[in-house]
Amino acid sequence: MVAGVTGVLEASGLTKAFGELLVLDGVDLQARAGQVLSVLGPSGCGKSTLLRVLAGFEEPTSGAVLLDGVRLTGPSPDRGMVAQAGGLFPWLTLRDNLAFGPVASRRSPAQVAAVVDELLTATGLDGFADALPKQLSGGMRQRASIAQVLANRPPVLLLDEPFGALDAQTRLRMHEWLRALLAERPTTVLLVTHDVEEALLLGDRLCLLSGRPAKIVEELPVPFGVHRGRGVLADPDFVRLKAAVLERVLAA
Amino acid sequence: MSAALLEDALVAAAPGPPRTRRRAHGHRLLGLLVPLLLLGAWYVVSSQELLSTRLLPSPGTVATALGDFFAGDSTTTLAGVVPFTGAGFEHLGASLYRCGVSWLLAVAVGTVVGLLLGLSQLARDLLDPLLNALRAVPLFAWLPLALIWFGLGEGAARAIIFVGALWPVLVAVSDAVGRVPTAHVETARMLGTPRRWLWRRVYLPSALPEVVTGLRLSLTLAWTCVIVGELSGTDRGVGAMMSAARETGRTEQVVVGIVVFATVGLVADLLLRAATARWVRWSRA
Ligand SMILES: Nc1ncnc2c1ncn2[C@@H]1O[C@H](COP(=O)(O)OP(=O)(O)OP(=O)(O)O)[C@@H](O)[C@H]1O
Ligand SMILES: [Mg+2]
Repeated sequence: MVAGVTGVLEASGLTKAFGELLVLDGVDLQARAGQVLSVLGPSGCGKSTLLRVLAGFEEPTSGAVLLDGVRLTGPSPDRGMVAQAGGLFPWLTLRDNLAFGPVASRRSPAQVAAVVDELLTATGLDGFADALPKQLSGGMRQRASIAQVLANRPPVLLLDEPFGALDAQTRLRMHEWLRALLAERPTTVLLVTHDVEEALLLGDRLCLLSGRPAKIVEELPVPFGVHRGRGVLADPDFVRLKAAVLERVLAA
Repeated sequence: MSAALLEDALVAAAPGPPRTRRRAHGHRLLGLLVPLLLLGAWYVVSSQELLSTRLLPSPGTVATALGDFFAGDSTTTLAGVVPFTGAGFEHLGASLYRCGVSWLLAVAVGTVVGLLLGLSQLARDLLDPLLNALRAVPLFAWLPLALIWFGLGEGAARAIIFVGALWPVLVAVSDAVGRVPTAHVETARMLGTPRRWLWRRVYLPSALPEVVTGLRLSLTLAWTCVIVGELSGTDRGVGAMMSAARETGRTEQVVVGIVVFATVGLVADLLLRAATARWVRWSRA
């Protein structure tokens, strides 16, 4: 745990039903301050629904969401969420997209400009400040979506399969980029994915969800240290853990 | 990382599609072809005297009348008489002013009511049936009522233009605002946008491309309604000149009016498109 970082996100007994359809069935989880919690689950099990409830976009049918012990309702800049499709506004340039959050929270123009410039550099998109989202590649758009949310410096970041639509190599580069980015700004991250390798590469801990209705079937620490790069992919321990987790997911 | 940067730079440096640009250029030239052919046909028909000049004046007569309309020596005329020679700019100015004032009012009212309908279920429940019923009333059906309420002249003309221009804006705004993806609204809320800012930060910009289409349609309709409005007894305006010309049997002056209407309508649409281009740029392929 990183000293001085707040942002413990907890779900306790979260249940969510859409009419007759039960999607979340008593999900308990805790994302520790400054750590990455990977949430793995089969397609359609309710991962996006879980994140939407945590973000405050959906009311839970029962149960509660707590940030540092305080019960939450409704969305807030404290929990930055990057949706599966990304969150860039197509009518704004990259610069204005990154400025959206700081402007909404009424920071001074100088502060906004400083945050935006810093994030343009951090995303390697300096040259694209005036480009529209449609003029960016898929990888660039995902980086920009994450940066847009980080502009508010949220203690908690919720990521819904942020790299799911990218090719394998780009995804690996994105993983390294994200880990470098988070190293500089300690953030509690809840990363939803169906990619076992991604969950193990990025997560400090791992939660496995069952098929719908989703509940936590297993929770385990990921033992490869903070500084794992893509070199760890060839590590026999990593390969064995990946195979074991994959078995669990397929059985879930 | 540097590899990713390189790739991004290459993506961005790739030249835009030149094919679409060439095509757009080709279209414009083709668009001139048909009017030129028609002009040629008109010339042939009138020079062979296939039709009486009362039905179809020659292009030359019309061109002369057009010059006369805008550049002739104006003579003072009695009140109630609609002048022609040298009165072009006066008539055009009157029509443009009438149209502009009514159109701007229609845009303002249409935008506000459209936003209200698009954003509020309650407003939709209250107003939708009434507005849909009113929208189905043909424009000409408003004319007698406008004449009773505002009398012959300026007021009735403006009322008719306003009604004609209102619906396209209102419908475009409420439809477009109702179609704004909830994901954008959620993202804006999550990023800390207060509810009262949503319409300006999300709904309006997201709806603008569709709204601009509505504005263009509305402006075209407003300009079309100018003639309807000016039939209601104004003595200045291109439409007023045309009905006076019809009464005195000056077909070439009627055709001058048509040429003026067409040209101004085309130019106004081009200007509006240019003025709004930066709002819709993001939505164009
Ligand atoms: N607003 C809603 N109304 C009704 N049903 C919904 C709603 N949102 C989600 N569902 C249902 O909840 C279930 C879980 O959906 P969800 O999107 O959370 O799955 P997921 O795990 O994110 O899937 P994927 O891996 O494909 O992204 C689905 O059966 C879906 O139909
Ligand atoms: Mg999902």
